[in-house]
Amino acid sequence: MNKQTFLKWAERNAKRIGVKKAQVLRAFEQEMTSPADPDAPFEIPDTMHINMRYSYGGQSRFFREILENRRILGARCTTCSKVFCPPRTHCPHCYAKTEWVELNGTGRVLSYTTVYFATSSAIKNVPYIVAYIRLDGADTAILSNVEMKDVRTAHVGMAVQVKFRKQRDGRITDIYFKEAS
Amino acid sequence: MKRVAIAGIGTTQFRSRWIEKTYFELAFDAVRAALDDAGMTRDRIGCVVYGIYNDFFERQFQPDLFVHDYLGLAPKPAIRVSTGGATGGSAISAGFAQVASGLYDVCLVVGVEKSADCFDYETGRSSPEVLKAISYTADMTYEQPTGRTAAGSFALTTIAHLEKYGNPTELQMAKVSVKNHTNALLNPVAQSPIALTVDDVMKSPMIAYPFKRFDNCLYSEGSAVLILVSEDVARTLKKPPVWITGIGAALDWAVIGNRKDLYSFESSRIAARKAYDMAGIRNPLEEIDLAELHDAFTGTELIAYEDCFFCDEGGGGRLIDEGVVGRGGKLPVNVSGGLIGCGHAVGATGIMQANEIVLHLRDEAGRRQIKNAKTGLVQSIGGPGAAWTVCLVLERDKG
Ligand SMILES: [Zn+2]
Repeated sequence: MNKQTFLKWAERNAKRIGVKKAQVLRAFEQEMTSPADPDAPFEIPDTMHINMRYSYGGQSRFFREILENRRILGARCTTCSKVFCPPRTHCPHCYAKTEWVELNGTGRVLSYTTVYFATSSAIKNVPYIVAYIRLDGADTAILSNVEMKDVRTAHVGMAVQVKFRKQRDGRITDIYFKEAS
Repeated sequence: MKRVAIAGIGTTQFRSRWIEKTYFELAFDAVRAALDDAGMTRDRIGCVVYGIYNDFFERQFQPDLFVHDYLGLAPKPAIRVSTGGATGGSAISAGFAQVASGLYDVCLVVGVEKSADCFDYETGRSSPEVLKAISYTADMTYEQPTGRTAAGSFALTTIAHLEKYGNPTELQMAKVSVKNHTNALLNPVAQSPIALTVDDVMKSPMIAYPFKRFDNCLYSEGSAVLILVSEDVARTLKKPPVWITGIGAALDWAVIGNRKDLYSFESSRIAARKAYDMAGIRNPLEEIDLAELHDAFTGTELIAYEDCFFCDEGGGGRLIDEGVVGRGGKLPVNVSGGLIGCGHAVGATGIMQANEIVLHLRDEAGRRQIKNAKTGLVQSIGGPGAAWTVCLVLERDKG
């Protein structure tokens, strides 16, 4: 493309896919001039993006209790008494209904990893810990973040306590964990 | 059940980016190569199985439709399989059923994947956006929002294994990285042939503890294709058939917190056992001549030695320390370079691994040929913490 066409093209496409014009200019610098080979690969800025209104269905109360009441619930099978957290409306073993039970928010780390290289949505937050935590009173483990001053001191078996974010969105990241004192 | 043979193979180069080809053009190249290899024309194809993992990678939902068009295969029946990293293995398994059942005599199995068209404008790099595309295949309600990556899901199980058995150590993992990068030096389709040292691996930056940069496979673009045929068809072709004598698959709890234990890959153990039972293998270390295991991460390969019963649980580290799995060892693992050395073009990976074994069983592997190889194992795993595993036992034709 010639420079003027290129600048307009970059601006229109940046707007279309929702990124900054400068970022498109940087990524497509090579398009500022036409390539010597007319068959040279031609790239365009693009995106795949869907907005949603997602229903939590039978899991709704779990997220509503976190958001409104800073309470964490498990789901207990009415037949085998296993407690699931993350919760579910029916037991995967008995296919029986579950009932809600409140958990006190303490638990232990079954395993963890510290993420140093992440997705474009999370890369600003590295390093961060992701751990499977079995809450006291539960039989399954939930994946969550553990916030620590020094991520290198994380270990399997660590006792942790649930924390609720000040601003809660109704997502699972409304909760995180800290080492129990 | 009818016997099923692999009659033709084709693998494109695995590269970090194939900017000059779309996914359907890559598939075309590998299909043409496989047909040539089998000495067959495409009118003989009865049905097709497409192995394509991530729709974002292709910038196309249901991309199989457009590969089928591009290959000019209408109106032959076709299905698409998508089982994460195990997509290639699952596609072979689905194709096997088509031929073993007698429904079709010739089944084309096409694995293909792009990835690096995903692009993060903020950092000016592909990888963070590739990881984001993958993250949508994690549980969206409870797990994806935590920022756990694919490497993270395998790191979680590796740490649990380390806690239980004291291995794999970071040094043992580094040795696997060196082995696979070095093996790739002899593989012309490999993406990462590098003469690495253990020190290079140990000093590489952390990605997801305990995995460092060189403990990880890289995302690749490429295509791998194989042609499955019945015995009647196999006997009419020029090249000796390679038989699929064992096949095993399992899908474990994908939400790892639901599993009884976090330290082993149950799906892998079940899949290997089933494949061995079907092939009549009792002592895998003695009876298997080479294996292509799913080394998305070095720690995963070490645990796979245990899951494939090359040793007892907790004994995986010893096999790399003692050189058992090296090129000159008793059971060479990932002579192709594996995912770490050859690359991970997800939908194509399991088929690339099978094609590697086929080359050895036909004495066509050139400089990296494992001499007198008669029986090979393919392990294809995918999903969070190896939710899916498919194992295949391939055997040389006895004539
Ligand atoms: Zn129950």
